[in-house]
Amino acid sequence: MRNKILWLVAALSSATASPALAHYPYCTCALEDGKVACKGGFSDGTGAEGVTLDVISYDEQILVPGKFGADSVVRFDKPSGEFYVLFDAGPGHVVEVDWRDIDGLTP
Amino acid sequence: METTRPAKEKKKATRLWLIVHSWLALPLWVLIFFVCLTGTIATVSQEIVWLAKPEVRANRPTPDAVPLGYDAILAAVEKAEPGVAVSFISRPVKSIFALDVFVSYPDGRTRSLFVNPYTGAIQGVGGVFDFRYFMRALHGWLLVPFVGATSWGWYLVSALSIPMLGSLVTGLVVYKKFWRGYLNPRLRLRNGARIFWGDFHRLAGIWSVPFIAIMAVTAGWFLIQHILADNNITVSTAGVPPVVAREDVPAEGGAKAPWISLDRAGQLVREKFPDLSPDFVALPSNAFSHIVVGGRGAYPLIFETANVNPYNGEVEWTRRVSDRSALELVTESMRPLHTGDFAGLWLKLVYFLFGLLLTMMVFSGMMIWLKRTALATAKLVRDINAERALPSVEGVREAAE
Amino acid sequence: MTGVKVKTNPHAGLPGGRHRWRFHLSVLLLVIPIVLSPKFFREEALFFGDSGLGQRELGEKAIGPWHVHVAEYMANAPTDQGLAGHMKTFAIRWNAEDADHIKASYFRIGKPRSLRAAGVVLSGGPYRQMADVPIPERVKPTDALWLTVEGWDGTVHQAAIPLDEASPATIAWLKQRGETR
Repeated sequence: MRNKILWLVAALSSATASPALAHYPYCTCALEDGKVACKGGFSDGTGAEGVTLDVISYDEQILVPGKFGADSVVRFDKPSGEFYVLFDAGPGHVVEVDWRDIDGLTP
Repeated sequence: METTRPAKEKKKATRLWLIVHSWLALPLWVLIFFVCLTGTIATVSQEIVWLAKPEVRANRPTPDAVPLGYDAILAAVEKAEPGVAVSFISRPVKSIFALDVFVSYPDGRTRSLFVNPYTGAIQGVGGVFDFRYFMRALHGWLLVPFVGATSWGWYLVSALSIPMLGSLVTGLVVYKKFWRGYLNPRLRLRNGARIFWGDFHRLAGIWSVPFIAIMAVTAGWFLIQHILADNNITVSTAGVPPVVAREDVPAEGGAKAPWISLDRAGQLVREKFPDLSPDFVALPSNAFSHIVVGGRGAYPLIFETANVNPYNGEVEWTRRVSDRSALELVTESMRPLHTGDFAGLWLKLVYFLFGLLLTMMVFSGMMIWLKRTALATAKLVRDINAERALPSVEGVREAAE
Repeated sequence: MTGVKVKTNPHAGLPGGRHRWRFHLSVLLLVIPIVLSPKFFREEALFFGDSGLGQRELGEKAIGPWHVHVAEYMANAPTDQGLAGHMKTFAIRWNAEDADHIKASYFRIGKPRSLRAAGVVLSGGPYRQMADVPIPERVKPTDALWLTVEGWDGTVHQAAIPLDEASPATIAWLKQRGETR
């Protein structure tokens, strides 16, 4: 997206040469050895160290509160019932993964 | 450079290098010429705008006038254009330029305003056509739109760094004892076009070695940078993008929570980092974003920034030279080294001059080849005509290849 | 090596010869910027808001007590953003009298479960805010683009714009994707 960048390109000319170097959050989860493993990060390749990852039930109870470590992976036991995973790098910087989108969990 | 190899063998190797040298740039010479020419213009595009548009100049009303602070600028703009939303104020590195103030109007248009740094008067409004950005886009990616993170125009242009680096190296190999050219410069004007362009190519070439090397290496980085970006690889150590926490945003009061003033933000940053000059300030772009104060520190090639929480004034995140890895210091220096915009007007003029020389190198290389092959073909035709009783057109053609 | 002595060509191997003209064909590459310049200037006009909020304006929407203009920034299929999946950019403009009441706005495809999961926060001044909205994997053409707005007064309001209204190009892309899967 150029809108964040144009002011940078125009005014801060040294900071970036290209009009599009995106920084979108992402999070993908898969079942590994009986545990759910979620990998998070940003689309430019930056990791997710320190970012909150909460496992939340459909009735909005936080089942597993978590934080990414240096490996940008959070592992947790599959909760019973329906849930979603919320990658939360701050208000409006979130990624949601529904339990049905977790590789290996879908029936 | 003594060698025990027979002279003939050495000559053969040089010839091979000449062939490589010729093949590197010639097949694409018009494109390379164009990229060099537009890049040369782009280097001084800001100065061209300065010459063409009086409203982008920072005229001092009186000799002892002092530049206004960011709050005074903001107030002056909001008074002159009621209802505008200011997003960014930048003080160009060169004090001859007016401030750039980015605003959006209530009808949804966004514009860059040229504001006098001493009086706060809006001297002019930038248009949709921005000559600087246009030259940059023409030079850097041939106007090919970016889709996602990349533009194939970007790849096409930055890949030219490969023939450029190759031309530099092979050119120096082919040019026997090129260092003699520094002591005995030779530019023969009256011996015909072939000699003139040859002398020019060699003379301009040896004097531009550092410049060509800088251009080729930095452009090569632009190529690598995009290959990395396309593969989601970053060398950045910046980490998770900073966001203002929800609990820091005042929720009571029922009205918009006030931000600390821009001057206050600048002051808070300076208290922590006295060597950071606040060259620009970005206003929060939403309720959860920071005031970003940035500018050049001790190392002029890299901008340093500090994010200030607009509600409590905490300096919550910094990107300083000391926060960067050694690799980043190298890679982030690539872009200013390519554009030459980090030391003032004199350096831009140096870049412009060498840019012109480099552009002419491409042209002269093409002229040498044109004249040489034309001469050779003509000579060959003559020789063969003289030696053969029955000249065969086919034979001449083949021999000329 | 018989008969007539033909001189060896000193330029053998060098580019050129009979096909010298081919080396001037690179001039054709300059057609690229010429052909693309109208598109470049169209995108500039869009960027500066001179051709409206977006390529497809969806008009004014009421959201709680407030009014907002919404637009699909570019009327094309979602853009591949690598690891983060496919994205579509939407833009909004607040009416001047409402602008100061709005704390934050979010876009999400599909109904948000909570304010925390309301989606992507919009950035920019009140008269031109944008967000790149991810297209979820299991989105259906019958889903909607949800705008969630938090006021400074503490209230939260929502509006849903059916996806076929918000972005027909995304619907077409989804159908195509569905067929190839």
